[in-house]
Amino acid sequence: MTAQRSSGAARLASFIPRTAGPWLSEADRVYDAETIFQYLDGAGEVYRSYNMKLLVSRRFHKDGRPDIVVDLFDMGSPDDAFGVFTHDLDGEDAGTGQGSNYKAGLLSFWKDNYFVSVQTEEETKDSKPAVLDLGQRIAAAIPKNGPAPKLLSYLPPEGLEAGRVCYFHNYSILNYHFFVADTDILLLGGKAAAVLASYKTAGGESKLLVVAYPDEAQAARAYESFGKNYMPDAKKPGLVRTEDKKWTASARAGDVVIVVFNADSDEFAMTQLAAVQELMAAAGPVRK
Amino acid sequence: MSAKAFTRRDFLKVASVAPLAGALIPGLRAGQAGAGPKVRVVLVRDPAALDASGRPDGEVIGRILDEAVSALVGETDAAAAWKRIVRPDDVVGIKTNVWDKLPTTSAVEQAIKRGVMSAGVPEAKLSIDDRGVLRNPIFQNATTLINARPARTHHWAGMGSCIKNYIQFVPRPSDYHGDTCADLAAIWNLPHVKGKTRLNILVMLTPLFHGIGPSSYSREFTWPYRGLIVSRDPVAADATGLRVLLAKRREHFGEDRPLPMTPHHIFLADTRHHLGVSAEDRIELVRLGWREGALV
Repeated sequence: MTAQRSSGAARLASFIPRTAGPWLSEADRVYDAETIFQYLDGAGEVYRSYNMKLLVSRRFHKDGRPDIVVDLFDMGSPDDAFGVFTHDLDGEDAGTGQGSNYKAGLLSFWKDNYFVSVQTEEETKDSKPAVLDLGQRIAAAIPKNGPAPKLLSYLPPEGLEAGRVCYFHNYSILNYHFFVADTDILLLGGKAAAVLASYKTAGGESKLLVVAYPDEAQAARAYESFGKNYMPDAKKPGLVRTEDKKWTASARAGDVVIVVFNADSDEFAMTQLAAVQELMAAAGPVRK
Repeated sequence: MSAKAFTRRDFLKVASVAPLAGALIPGLRAGQAGAGPKVRVVLVRDPAALDASGRPDGEVIGRILDEAVSALVGETDAAAAWKRIVRPDDVVGIKTNVWDKLPTTSAVEQAIKRGVMSAGVPEAKLSIDDRGVLRNPIFQNATTLINARPARTHHWAGMGSCIKNYIQFVPRPSDYHGDTCADLAAIWNLPHVKGKTRLNILVMLTPLFHGIGPSSYSREFTWPYRGLIVSRDPVAADATGLRVLLAKRREHFGEDRPLPMTPHHIFLADTRHHLGVSAEDRIELVRLGWREGALV
């Protein structure tokens, strides 16, 4: 282990308690972006797609009770800690860290640069409170909060389902949340930063996708690629009525591409595009 | 981007006529039915395959595996059936899966071993391995491979499949993780693997139909299906297992809940890599044993 990795692991480990009630901890296991497959198999790709730096995994054992495992990821930035947290938003809010959910023995939360999973092998009357308490103690040990991704400030608040916003860099992750195409027609390429948000509408649900690219040229190529692949039949540039009688609209503003899917009307779609651009002007660019 | 992308709009065009469309996109394009002979897949189940505490019963599993292999090759006698799978002079690698949360199980491994030895292969000429296959002399010199792994949802590949079980035959598994493992079947064309697999066993004793958390596992989302899916064709075995997992998800969630990632590697194994058959109408599904809750 390199000295840098060793000190990083020690810092992560310092956030995790040694005991959880009667459960005692075992030796830590440490993984980085290259070795994570030894622990998580191909599922490690999800964390790699969010630029994970380091993972410390600590198992808690008590004879006769289900084990509890803490996986504490250093994601390198609050943006990516938030992002990997949004990969699975099922569950009830557990009031831990800067955003959390709990389901079926699994507590997930994020705080600052860190994403944390605390999972019991079986939810029992003892293990659930132990999981929630461990989470609270870890969150308290992480010294500060981090800012949420600036892209979130580009989302119009009206009708927004705030608890269902996802942040990602990879088209496979986009497809997991909302299938767009089986190839990377938006040219996310792992370097772009994207948010996908849901809006309640009279006719159901509209999706808003906002993607910030590394520069304007890449955004221009992505906008062109999306138009060519997704709306080759558009009567007006960036606006098409799709097969389900809904509307899709897209626009580019500098290094940002905006797409509205499943809009009830062309008017709603265009209003959403304009609203995002107004918020962008007020908030300033994502990349300085 | 040379080939036309399959987009949400293409999906909207076919969704109304494809019953599992919501669960399978974007594999839809790849999973089209085609012409050609049917391939046989055997689904065998027995309520006693797991004991009262949920542990695999080796004796029962041995018996149902023998029945499945017999039905697969069209023999009534198990020893004769195994002789259709392996020859006495074969060197046999049994590729297992040791993932601690849901392994192939030693009961299944030993049942395969007994079957192989019943065909006349000496114990010294067979080996059971997973992560060490590239360094294992038996696997390095294998004339025959037998592939056995449990069925589960997978956080990146969509499904932990028979096809995916060969990821350990490459030195850098991550080289095959692109596009959520789309081209896993390419591994089956590597010289040390190609053409050697005689039997695929998708272990359906306690499949995982939904994953949560970093390890993508919770015992809560497994269920005692108590079966095996057996085929010479890994793609057909996986496509059948996938149908079971999707049916279980529909039963549990009350809706067509898409898998975490689409298991398009199964369909692409058919249409892009020509490893086997994925279309349901080209699979002859032989059902043996316990029918209750079979889901397919």
